[in-house]
Amino acid sequence: MKELSGHIRENIAGSNRIFYVYCFILLVIAVVGLSQAVKSLAFGHGHSTMSDMVPWGMYISGLAFFIGCSAGATMVGLLIHGFGREDYHPVGTRAILLALLSIFGAMNCVMMDVGNPFRAMKIPFLLRNETSMFFISSSSYMGFMTILGAELFMTIKITRGKASSRDKLLAKLLAIVAVPYALVVVHSFTGTIFGVVKAREMWNTPLLPIHFVTSALASGFALVILVTVITSWIHNKELVSMDTFNHMGFLLLFFLIATVFIDVFDYIILSYSATEEGMETWHLLTGRYLVTFLINMGGLFSALTIVAFKKGRTPRGLLYATSITLLAIVAYRINIISVGQLVPLYPELGELEYIPNIHEVAPFIGLVALLMFIYAVLTKVLPLEDKVHASHT
Amino acid sequence: MRSLDRRQLIKLAALAGTGAFLPRQASAVGEIFEAIAKKMSEGIKGTIGQEVETPLPVKGARFGMVIDLGLCIGCRRCSYACKLENNVPDTINPPYIMVLETKYKPGQIIAEEQPMKNHVNGNGLLYTKLRRDRMYMPVQCNHCADPPCTKVCPTKATYKSPDGIVMMDYNKCIGCRYCMAACPYNARRFNWWKPEVSPEKINPLVPLRLDGVVEKCTFCVHRTRRGRTTRCVEACPNKARTFGNLNDPESAVSKLIASERSFRLKVGLNTGPQIWYLTHPKEKPMIWYKPIPISPDIRGLRKSG
Repeated sequence: MKELSGHIRENIAGSNRIFYVYCFILLVIAVVGLSQAVKSLAFGHGHSTMSDMVPWGMYISGLAFFIGCSAGATMVGLLIHGFGREDYHPVGTRAILLALLSIFGAMNCVMMDVGNPFRAMKIPFLLRNETSMFFISSSSYMGFMTILGAELFMTIKITRGKASSRDKLLAKLLAIVAVPYALVVVHSFTGTIFGVVKAREMWNTPLLPIHFVTSALASGFALVILVTVITSWIHNKELVSMDTFNHMGFLLLFFLIATVFIDVFDYIILSYSATEEGMETWHLLTGRYLVTFLINMGGLFSALTIVAFKKGRTPRGLLYATSITLLAIVAYRINIISVGQLVPLYPELGELEYIPNIHEVAPFIGLVALLMFIYAVLTKVLPLEDKVHASHT
Repeated sequence: MRSLDRRQLIKLAALAGTGAFLPRQASAVGEIFEAIAKKMSEGIKGTIGQEVETPLPVKGARFGMVIDLGLCIGCRRCSYACKLENNVPDTINPPYIMVLETKYKPGQIIAEEQPMKNHVNGNGLLYTKLRRDRMYMPVQCNHCADPPCTKVCPTKATYKSPDGIVMMDYNKCIGCRYCMAACPYNARRFNWWKPEVSPEKINPLVPLRLDGVVEKCTFCVHRTRRGRTTRCVEACPNKARTFGNLNDPESAVSKLIASERSFRLKVGLNTGPQIWYLTHPKEKPMIWYKPIPISPDIRGLRKSG
């Protein structure tokens, strides 16, 4: 404990002014943004543009995106412990931290979205419905947080050189268990929340859970790579070797191919849809939502093209590819949630509309700022640099 | 008296400004925290205001409804009566019963297989004048036999009762709106604002709701389980609506659904809606009433030009 507090003091004292300014700005954005969420909590969601026709908006898109981002840690853990890729060790703890924060972000999106978050806290202990995908997935997030929390604790112990052989075995087991748990339970069931809705043509497909898994792997791994590149740039040293960057890019390529594969065939089938709802969905995607559709598909293809070449699998190339990937997945999440609901359930209703306003955008930006602030502080507080493996890189 | 220099003047103005601004901000913040604390206690405890005892389900009954489109004139009296009966606040718009308007040609059979579009005059909901060349179709909760909303609700706040009514337990609803996303009939309403009903209009038999919970048609459970019919049936001037027990072969609803004209909405989804419609057989002489206008400010509808 003494050693840890010494580490914290040393790191805080060693921080420069830019770090404090950066943290202060993030905190201000977080406070200003989240104050809107507090207002909604007090007086209801009346100021938002969600409606009885389009009941889910930006927060649910945020939930789907943040949940996806948590997949990166499981892949890094599997690479280190399952495949013996020791060169990934320097990013191991950061990846777990990112995943934990992503899940925290996702749960906050749910809390900001629901009408009565205090009552929602009774799930899964006092209120439950086992047939609800919302219940299953939200309960699974708690399990995932527990696994990741335990993994983080063990990894920090290993990093500090305090781990026994039993701790190392436990860390290995947790890292391996986290993969099927994340992919089969967390991400698939998040996709199933939408997949089971028969009323919405765009959602009601068995492809959706699979799509959520592949896109989660792409966005989660892209986030880990992006943070690795930025951290290397800030600290002016390569956190991992160029070979590892190349390997990271190669894996991202694989995840992107899987995502694009499902996307392309899903859209081809949708465009040939014989139902009125299917045609309306396609009409929306290629009309009012063309910009996000192009960002989604164009982004995925561009990122895929960058990492397909070895030259693109350098830190600079990866910086572009991962940023584009994240943007493309954000666009996908917006499309799947919004367009899925904008097809009117009765043609006589006319055209529906959903454009998030400042009352929804501000809390979302505030949440992102808060997550960035927590990450910045934790990277200072926690011993992330592996003293044992640092020498290898 | 000594005159003030510019710096002192700025200081004084800043002080005065802060003095005027702070109390207002402090009271606003206090108001927010007060509302949150109230919501926290209400949210955890349950509903506000009156304690209402919901009657028990009627044994052996399966309630259903038939709406004759040949008789519906779109006057929206059902919708308005429903709103008053069920303590539905003004902030809920559209109400539980939406009356859609479609084009109609005399003699045309209108069934689910022939959906009609009407974008000529904008939204079909926002009409102000009854027209003989239009057909009106009230839509509401279909009290499905296999409702998707009850399966997806994470807290069992909405459930299917033995007498066929899809009910809401406002004490359990967390306001996630999954039921709304899953409902194929657009039948559910969310309290985006704090619901307020004037005290003189409150029906003591119906519970009041909190903001942030979902509500819907309950087939007037407080009436129907006590042997009365629904308020919308009573309010219809053309007797287009019939309510009754589907398990009783002699009931009016059972006889009407056996008609060749009967159909249900979106049967392909296998939700088993318990509201049947009777198609428009031919032009019938009927009494026309002036429609009750509704607010054009419906959330989520794109304003047509």
